[in-house]
Amino acid sequence: MTVARMTALLRRDLRLALRHGGESLMPLIFLFSVIILVPLGVGPGPNLLASIAPGMIWVAALLASLLALEQLFRPDLEDGTLEQWWVGGTAPPGALVVTRLFSHWLVTGVPVILFAPLAAQMLYLPSDALPTLMLSLLIGTPVLSLVGGLASALTLGTNRGSVLLSILVFPMVVPVLIFATGAVTAAAEGFSARAHLGLLTALLILAVTLAPLATTAALRLNIE
Amino acid sequence: MIPDLDYAFYVWTSYGLFALVMAWQFLQPRLRRRQILAELREERALRTGGYDDANS
Amino acid sequence: MIFHRLKVGFHRLGSPPTFHKLCRILSPWLWAGFVACTAIGLYQALYVVPPDYQQGDSFRILYIHVPAAWQAMAGYVIMAILAAIALVWRIRTVEIMTMAAAPVGAAFTALCLATGSLWGKPMWGTWWAWDARLTSMLVLLFIYLGIMGLYAAFEDRRKGARVACILVLVGLVNIPLIHFSVEWWTTLHQGSTINLFGESKMHPSMLPPLIWMAIAVKLMFGGALLDRSRNDLVDQDRRKRWIRDVIGEEA
Repeated sequence: MTVARMTALLRRDLRLALRHGGESLMPLIFLFSVIILVPLGVGPGPNLLASIAPGMIWVAALLASLLALEQLFRPDLEDGTLEQWWVGGTAPPGALVVTRLFSHWLVTGVPVILFAPLAAQMLYLPSDALPTLMLSLLIGTPVLSLVGGLASALTLGTNRGSVLLSILVFPMVVPVLIFATGAVTAAAEGFSARAHLGLLTALLILAVTLAPLATTAALRLNIE
Repeated sequence: MIPDLDYAFYVWTSYGLFALVMAWQFLQPRLRRRQILAELREERALRTGGYDDANS
Repeated sequence: MIFHRLKVGFHRLGSPPTFHKLCRILSPWLWAGFVACTAIGLYQALYVVPPDYQQGDSFRILYIHVPAAWQAMAGYVIMAILAAIALVWRIRTVEIMTMAAAPVGAAFTALCLATGSLWGKPMWGTWWAWDARLTSMLVLLFIYLGIMGLYAAFEDRRKGARVACILVLVGLVNIPLIHFSVEWWTTLHQGSTINLFGESKMHPSMLPPLIWMAIAVKLMFGGALLDRSRNDLVDQDRRKRWIRDVIGEEA
């Protein structure tokens, strides 16, 4: 029952994302505008670009994940479906929250991971570091979605969410950014990135266990 | 071994900032309170129709 | 028996008039204690303690910087405890107190950053260094500002307070992570940093003013917290009956 409800929600979310194809391309377009603008700003020197590549790709991925957050729960709040999550009773609200966050990650996180090799090439990231970059994105972008979803749920009841959203997300993603870029930088310099990736995984586990709880509580307060 | 620099500016600015922050934390709630009470008195006067409180 | 009385007292605190009265009585004492402790602390910090043989007089900034840093963090812990109580027992006065703690904590965080910068200039030669503690303080300031901003963005004040309480608890999990990650990050990028703040062996004669100042800002935090909560309570309860008696008393 619960699983059926979750897959139904996931299917609906993905169908909506596909229908608004242009909108779901936004994170990618945003990612690449940052990746293209940076060399234009700091100059095309391969050494400089290679040294800032991990940070740039990660900051771009982070900002890209912020784009869709404003609309993560708001349409459902406005047409009343969000309330159905609590009174419908077909599935625990927490499960639906997790589903929604998962579809957000599929739409915003996965494209960024898939196109990361291209971005890495454009910024001359050493090819040895590419697997680590992909892995760090694979572990880290779900955390961005979870944390972003929490911020989105917290600001749901306000009418000027977007500025607040970024100020709420920023402190929460500091550790992710540090460990992820640390991993890629270590790999680029020929060191082992294991410790960084381990810590990043720990962050992911923490976020997966705690963020949906807080998100569900915040949503519930906001629809009361 | 450390050259004799003039630290007074930095030290006194720090203490000055401390004094400013503390003074603001003390004054702000009091000013706000006065404002709220004035508003409430005005509301009451409008409701009862007479400005009959002691300090008007 | 004692437990029962404590419980009754605890519940009474939830009643706005009692809480308001308690704030009014307690706040002047806290402020007076603050003034007394600061007087002792500043006298010792500026006259009694001899200049440091390495840092000259500049180390006297420590007596502002360190208590402010402690209070910025202790303030967060207090706010988080209040937030947990507010969310579990749904006590409105505690919600208000939680929200009143944020601006005071933010003020201490800002003070800590400003004095850290004023200390860094003569010692490091720059106003800002990406030192682990300064960086995590900066992030802490943004957490405080986020809490204040979230609370202020709601039209329904009560709902805003409850949602912001969740954010306070999220921050409690987040702050140690930030601290740890930033520490990790600075050791990676700078090799070894010169450790100016704390830790370096302190002469016993340097300690008493620090303790006095730490107590002083704790009392001040309490005073400011109660003042702000009282205002917020009156502001929210404008139309309630008990407010009339309050204005009557103070008009």
